[in-house]
Amino acid sequence: MISPFQNEPILELRRPAVRAGLGDALAALDSRGPVRVPVWIGDERREGDELPSTDPGRPDRVVALAASAGPEETEAALETASRAARGWAKTPAAERAAVLLRAAAWMRERRVELAALEVREAAKPWAEADADVCEAIDFLEYYARGAIELEERPAMLPGSALDQLIQPPGERNTLRWAARGVVAVISPWNFPIAIPCGMTAAGLATGNAVVLKPAEQAPGCGYAIAQALHAGGLPSGVLSLLPGEGDVGAALVEDRRVHVIAFTGSGPVGLGIIRAAAELAPGQKHLKRVVAEMGGKNCVIVDSDADLDEVVPGLVRSAFTYAGQKCSAASRVLAHEAIHDALVQRLSGAIEVLEVGQASDLAIDVPPVIEREAAERVARYAALAEREGRVAARARSVPDGGWFATPSLATDLPESSAVLGEEIFGPLLALERVRDVDDACDRVDASPFALTGGLFCRNPDTVDRVVERSPVGNLYVNRYITGAMVARQPFGGNRLSGTGTKAGGPGYLLHFVEPRVVTENTMRHGLVV
Amino acid sequence: MMDEAALEAELFAVGSRLARDMPVQRNPLKAFDDKAMDLASQDAELKAALFRFVDVVPACRSLEDLSRHLVGFLREVETPPPPISVAMRMGNTKAGRTALGAAAATGVRHMAHRFIVGESPKAALGVLRELWKDGVASSVDLLGEATVTQDEAQRYADRCAEALDTLADAAQRWPARPQLERDSAGALPRANLSVKVSALTPLLRPDAPERGQRDAADRLRPLLRQARERGAHLHIDMESMDSRDAVLELVLDLLAEDEFRAGPSAGMVLQAYLRDSPQSLDTIVDWLRRHERAHPLTVRLVKGAYWDHELVEARQHGWPSPVFEHKADTDRNFEQLTRRLIDARSSGAALRVAIASHNLRSVAHAVAYNRLSGGRDEDLELQVLRGLGDPLQAAIARQDLRVRAYCPVGDLVAGMAYLVRRLLENTSNDSFLAAQANGVAVAELLAPPQVPA
Repeated sequence: MISPFQNEPILELRRPAVRAGLGDALAALDSRGPVRVPVWIGDERREGDELPSTDPGRPDRVVALAASAGPEETEAALETASRAARGWAKTPAAERAAVLLRAAAWMRERRVELAALEVREAAKPWAEADADVCEAIDFLEYYARGAIELEERPAMLPGSALDQLIQPPGERNTLRWAARGVVAVISPWNFPIAIPCGMTAAGLATGNAVVLKPAEQAPGCGYAIAQALHAGGLPSGVLSLLPGEGDVGAALVEDRRVHVIAFTGSGPVGLGIIRAAAELAPGQKHLKRVVAEMGGKNCVIVDSDADLDEVVPGLVRSAFTYAGQKCSAASRVLAHEAIHDALVQRLSGAIEVLEVGQASDLAIDVPPVIEREAAERVARYAALAEREGRVAARARSVPDGGWFATPSLATDLPESSAVLGEEIFGPLLALERVRDVDDACDRVDASPFALTGGLFCRNPDTVDRVVERSPVGNLYVNRYITGAMVARQPFGGNRLSGTGTKAGGPGYLLHFVEPRVVTENTMRHGLVV
Repeated sequence: MMDEAALEAELFAVGSRLARDMPVQRNPLKAFDDKAMDLASQDAELKAALFRFVDVVPACRSLEDLSRHLVGFLREVETPPPPISVAMRMGNTKAGRTALGAAAATGVRHMAHRFIVGESPKAALGVLRELWKDGVASSVDLLGEATVTQDEAQRYADRCAEALDTLADAAQRWPARPQLERDSAGALPRANLSVKVSALTPLLRPDAPERGQRDAADRLRPLLRQARERGAHLHIDMESMDSRDAVLELVLDLLAEDEFRAGPSAGMVLQAYLRDSPQSLDTIVDWLRRHERAHPLTVRLVKGAYWDHELVEARQHGWPSPVFEHKADTDRNFEQLTRRLIDARSSGAALRVAIASHNLRSVAHAVAYNRLSGGRDEDLELQVLRGLGDPLQAAIARQDLRVRAYCPVGDLVAGMAYLVRRLLENTSNDSFLAAQANGVAVAELLAPPQVPA
């Protein structure tokens, strides 16, 4: 019997004794030199250094050296996965779950070590890196239990009118959920262990073989997932690791042997995947399923009765933690005109004191962004904001050396401004004045994105009205809008933000399986047998 | 070793005398002229509605806006008592809403005035002087919005500086009250200001307190200098667990600096609801052993005002709770810490003990223990909160014991968070004040804390 699911508790970093061990973990990581990330197919591991990943805060520090999968390796991985998928699908869910739970235990034993890797490779600040590792563990634990449920109670699903199929005399109806086959996981760098681990775990828990293509910016973190699952006893070939760049992902998406593509990343890449997945490859006998989590332009509405003491820290946390590089991060504030000026003033003061620096330093508020291109992009939008409106506040001190972007607040922008319409994915927050909450809802409704949203308001009737009108996948009322937790805030967006799937929530596993119903006639010569 | 039976006997005698001396007319619960608090104590939904309303009052733009909020909150109460239904019906028309909003605003303002002595230190001087004349010292606490910017931190520091001057000037003209101004360690400042570290800097981060500590220290040093020059006492409050270690360390480090050896009189807070509060006391006692200052360090022992917050935060994160979950455990720990503080002082630590509680037993226990361990009454200070401990404070003063009222000062906007915390305390099921108000017998109020099995 497995215990009920519980979230892995994050480190209580407010206690000095808990903080004390972090530096050692980082020093240990640094002393080992770059992580060697292999192309890993079945029992074959080929190391290489074609794909170095570096510390965004100190780009001359190589954190991992990855091999980059070539076309033959991609081919071999898919062939291996196709073969391994058959046996794995026949493995009882409880056994598959046990592998996931052991992988979770492996990660739990190395929590700080894995967090340290994220600090270096993705410049995730400690608290964020730790939360990411916890989330990865949560996904393994949650989907393991979910897969068992799916096998034991196949008709008990959200939306079921009955908890089982109707069984009239002389007829036996069974529903089961079969693995689809091969899942290609194409993952981002911003939650470098949790997101690929979640997508991989969902595929494996339901009996699919998985080919994992980690983000080229964070192959070391992707490797950790493969290590955990292999340590958990995953049969050879069921999971392959294909570090590489966009061409590897594209090859996976187009291949006839792939059944499900689980993708988290940018909108244009996501749309490309959906388009490519609709094309039938020669010899392909199935429709591909795409689970895509894409961009957002997340708005926070601040009503006239909001408590600015709560709003300011909530916005700062939503917009600037991890330098605004979470899919859920706030990028627009829609402020009621009655509190607009006071909010701009207080928020500006709060942004000016943000400390920008190395992710490894607990005292910083904002780490560097992931790469040079990202820093340049943020600077470009900030320049545009300055031309079209006003940059009301900037963090006072921003170091040199790494890919640092300046946390900023843009105001007085025309409604047509690209700063308000496009996903920037960096520490630039735009604030607009709205007449009232309905005006704010209209603007949210005009956006093609619908990932997360926020509302600060204390009138229950207004809260109900906004909840009713809000199209977003995750709406947060009177709190920060990031940090969704498995089984607490099933996460995923609507509209152009994604396929409407909810990672870490009920129903997610259904995207990785297909339903099969068998009806057996149990009557023979008037006798029910 | 203390003779426990003798201690209980003395405790009972002290407690009974205090109970006898409490003015009957000023029962704190009945004093709320709207019956709201009584109703709220009995009904969790109503309590939530009332608190949410009190909380939002200062942010409302008009009487109509106010009453819309009120009606919205009340609608979520499943079985509204009759007075609430009347209010709901008033919400149906514009005229009704305006009238309801006006009545509700008056009610909340009235409630606030019980806990908050004035909008500014100057405006509070009349009340403070009356208290003093009645044998009650005070500590002024400046309420304010959260500090999120450097300007706000500086504004708070400026207000503190101004308050120190205002209080020190005014206190010179107060009449002599020997039991409030001297103990066996020497003179006690008349002017007394409590400050919050989180208000002195926008940089205090639970995970990395150093930057916030430095920033707060830069604003605390001038206040300490000023307090020394003006002969005032500066007390540094404790807040939530997020800043506990940072504040403890900051205060001890600052007071150890050479320039503050000669003064001012200063103090800090120990929260008995924290499971690890005995270790914090170890830290303080150890510090006292290693540092010599002209003034003893005042330690105000409280139960702690962020209990719900601490418990909820710990539950949300899956952390062990930093606070005791049973009130009786806190009460028992409070008594143990009381004894340790008195023992430390008796054995020579430069320490002034201030026991801040409205629990008759906790107060009587401190007085009795102090006496039986050979201490003088003048070497024990008792503290109460303005608006909650008024009858107790009068009874303590009548017994010629030293009592100090913690007096918040500020406007309604700034005061709401404070007010809600006080109301929460007052309506909780475990509340001693509620028990007292409901006519629980003195013997029962003085019984040792019992942890439910």
